Amino acid sequence: MLEIRGLDAAYGDARVLSGVTLSVGPGEIVALLGPNGAGKSTLLGCIAGLVRPRAGTIRWDGEDLATVGPHLIVERGLATVPEGRRLFGTMTVEDNLELGAFSPRARAARGSSLERVFALFPDLQARRRQIVRALSGGQQQMVAVGRALMASPRLLMLDEPSLGLAPRLVRAILDALVEINRAGVAIFLVEQNVRAALTLAHRAYILEGGRIVGEGGGAALLRDPHVRRAYLGPLAVRE
Amino acid sequence: MSLRIAASERAWTLAILAGFAALAPLPLLVRRDDVLNFVLLVLLSITMAQSWNIIAGYAGQVNLGHAAFFGLGALTARTLWIGGAPVVLAMAAGALVATAFALLIGAAAFRLRGAYFAIGTLALGEILRTTVGNVLPEISTLPAATIGAYRLSQRYYLALALAALSVIAVAALAGSRLGLGMQAIREDEGAAEASGVAALSLKLRALALSTGLAGAAGGLFAYYHISYYPSHPFAPHWTFEALLMTFIGGVGTLQGPVLGAVLYVFLKEYLTVRWVDFHLLIFGVLFIAIVLIFPGGLVQAAEGARRRLTRRPGRTT
Amino acid sequence: MSVLAQQIVLGLLIGGLYGLAAAGLSLVFGVLKVLDVAHGELIMLGGYGAFWLFALLGWDPFASLLVVIPGSLLLGAVLYAVLFGFVVRAGEEARIKNSLLVGFGLALALHALAVRLWTADDRSITTSYGGAVLTVGDLSIPVIRLLSLLVALALIVSLHLLLARWRWGKAIRATAEDWQAALLTGIDVRRAYLLAFAIGTALAGAAGTLVSVGYSISPSMGLEWTLKALIVVVLAGLGSMLGTFVAGLFLGVAEALSAAAFGGPYREVVGLVIFVVVLVLRPRGLFGR
Repeated sequence: MLEIRGLDAAYGDARVLSGVTLSVGPGEIVALLGPNGAGKSTLLGCIAGLVRPRAGTIRWDGEDLATVGPHLIVERGLATVPEGRRLFGTMTVEDNLELGAFSPRARAARGSSLERVFALFPDLQARRRQIVRALSGGQQQMVAVGRALMASPRLLMLDEPSLGLAPRLVRAILDALVEINRAGVAIFLVEQNVRAALTLAHRAYILEGGRIVGEGGGAALLRDPHVRRAYLGPLAVRE
Repeated sequence: MSLRIAASERAWTLAILAGFAALAPLPLLVRRDDVLNFVLLVLLSITMAQSWNIIAGYAGQVNLGHAAFFGLGALTARTLWIGGAPVVLAMAAGALVATAFALLIGAAAFRLRGAYFAIGTLALGEILRTTVGNVLPEISTLPAATIGAYRLSQRYYLALALAALSVIAVAALAGSRLGLGMQAIREDEGAAEASGVAALSLKLRALALSTGLAGAAGGLFAYYHISYYPSHPFAPHWTFEALLMTFIGGVGTLQGPVLGAVLYVFLKEYLTVRWVDFHLLIFGVLFIAIVLIFPGGLVQAAEGARRRLTRRPGRTT
Repeated sequence: MSVLAQQIVLGLLIGGLYGLAAAGLSLVFGVLKVLDVAHGELIMLGGYGAFWLFALLGWDPFASLLVVIPGSLLLGAVLYAVLFGFVVRAGEEARIKNSLLVGFGLALALHALAVRLWTADDRSITTSYGGAVLTVGDLSIPVIRLLSLLVALALIVSLHLLLARWRWGKAIRATAEDWQAALLTGIDVRRAYLLAFAIGTALAGAAGTLVSVGYSISPSMGLEWTLKALIVVVLAGLGSMLGTFVAGLFLGVAEALSAAAFGGPYREVVGLVIFVVVLVLRPRGLFGR
């Protein structure tokens, strides 16, 4: 479904991605792991059309996304929950969700999408008329995921959805992702919480210094010594 | 590379100064006042453009209140000169007052960055213009005795000297540590400060030099014109003309403002005969094209053309 | 006392037009992050549009709004397509500086064009009911200025509703808040820019029409009105159109009071002084988020 080949990206002279090749199939949950500054957010930015790659191709259902205007990528069924949520803070929950369904295809399904989001996050229904800025971090993250779901995506990309949230809320968000996936939506997840991400994911890639240095099934990577040393901390190694 | 730029700048300085030297005997050769008036206008424009170029072109601070300093120089010099002071002293005092005022407001004004500095200084200029217009509403005319002794050639030589001074000042600045520091601020103020450039101090020095020249130019204006409203030299078009000439010639270069001023005054004089303010339509459009297509002005456009011409033979062989 | 009250009323009447003039600038600045210093010239063009319709076709200036507003909308779209659409491609810092310069060039060109088309003289539209005055107690209120104020208020309220309710209105607000996030939700940000610029120009055109009725217009009015609009935007901050309108009223009253206190010629100075002081005290906070 999503096929990335030999992707290079840079900011000015600073190279951020080198020859990244990866894929996400229908219905899959794929995690992208790596230290800060590895280029994970840049990779998502390239897919979403915010960052123009230097070289390489990003194909979606065989179509080269470089030829698709950034605002039309959502229309194709690729929705993003950006790092730091990036909600429209001065607007209501409802407005944010409605803007998520801005593209024509999503707008047609607006009613059922809204029901789906409220079923997933009942909290939001009660707060639909509240200004987003006044919500708690966890609620805001729910709005962010909800806004992306309103686009009726076939692939949902999330950049650090659990960042800065209390463990209980992290659990709630990750549970919601499993739920979303069960409905047939593929998920591409960038996550700091490596153990949780690997438990969730069918497959995972490891990005270090802008290169893919590892790839495998979620469970297999959880046992991998490099992964354990680098991402699961000393406690995990002793286990 | 930097040596070559310095060499080309030296060549331009010499060429421009040679041009000024060639203009020096003009009052002896030409008896027509209109020719002298025209050249004087070109010289005054060069001074204004070059003075604006220092703060905007080199230090990167788009000062839209430049007319205020021209006006202060004119006001001071006119008052002292009519009061009996020698004209050169009066002009120096005008420059001094303009600089003093600039330093007074500078620290506050430089709290503003980029476009905010531009609109803040624009408002400042308008405050001064309106206030001077309110306090001194009467037209200022020279006393009859002074008009009787009026010699255009004296004004002409002063304008020539001032234009030469402005070119020499920019030439000296361009290669100096001071000038390099200013250009670092223009490119990226944060990065310049991080690498040890004292941004505020340098910007103040650029402003002092720039407004000093503008004040002197105002003094010349006061010495040159027989009668005008005291608020006239504060009018924003003095700023706007300096900006246009500098940008169209090539902002942040030595020769750009000189070329821009010559072109501007020629076009303005030529077109005004048929259509008042038509030159502003052409220059407005030209200016937009420069900003969007050739941010370096005519200097950059010429450079690009030359490079393409010199490269072509190499490619065919 | 009644003289002062009369001044305040006149200040409120002109202040409504300041608010309308500023609303367009605020919208363009807030959404595109460009500073269009030719906004005053766009107001001027709106004024001359109404003047032409009145002089050539005998149209009532308020009725001519029905033509001036769509005409300005179209003009704004064209200006965006040929000028400001290129400016917004630059990064934030270069964008605002370039917009200032492009706007400046545009202002010069439009000014020269207006001198050519309509001469440099002051003009105003004199309708049959132009002299009517409403008397309330000691106060006399020129009917035509009162009508202008009400029209300005109606336009501001419509704009507010448009931004709050309309799908693209919300898209414009979303773009103003975070254009990248807007792009990620599938909003065509370029189109939101185009709409915002066109609407901003339409507001300028409407303001110009109202100025030509109750007051006077001339080719050189641009800079003064750009400054008035900037002052109001600085006072009101970005985001709320109703707030901008109120700030416009405030400026009108402040000018009237300072004219009463220091004499007529100083009415222009007070706004500029407020502007510079606020700008220096809050150098970034005003426009930035």
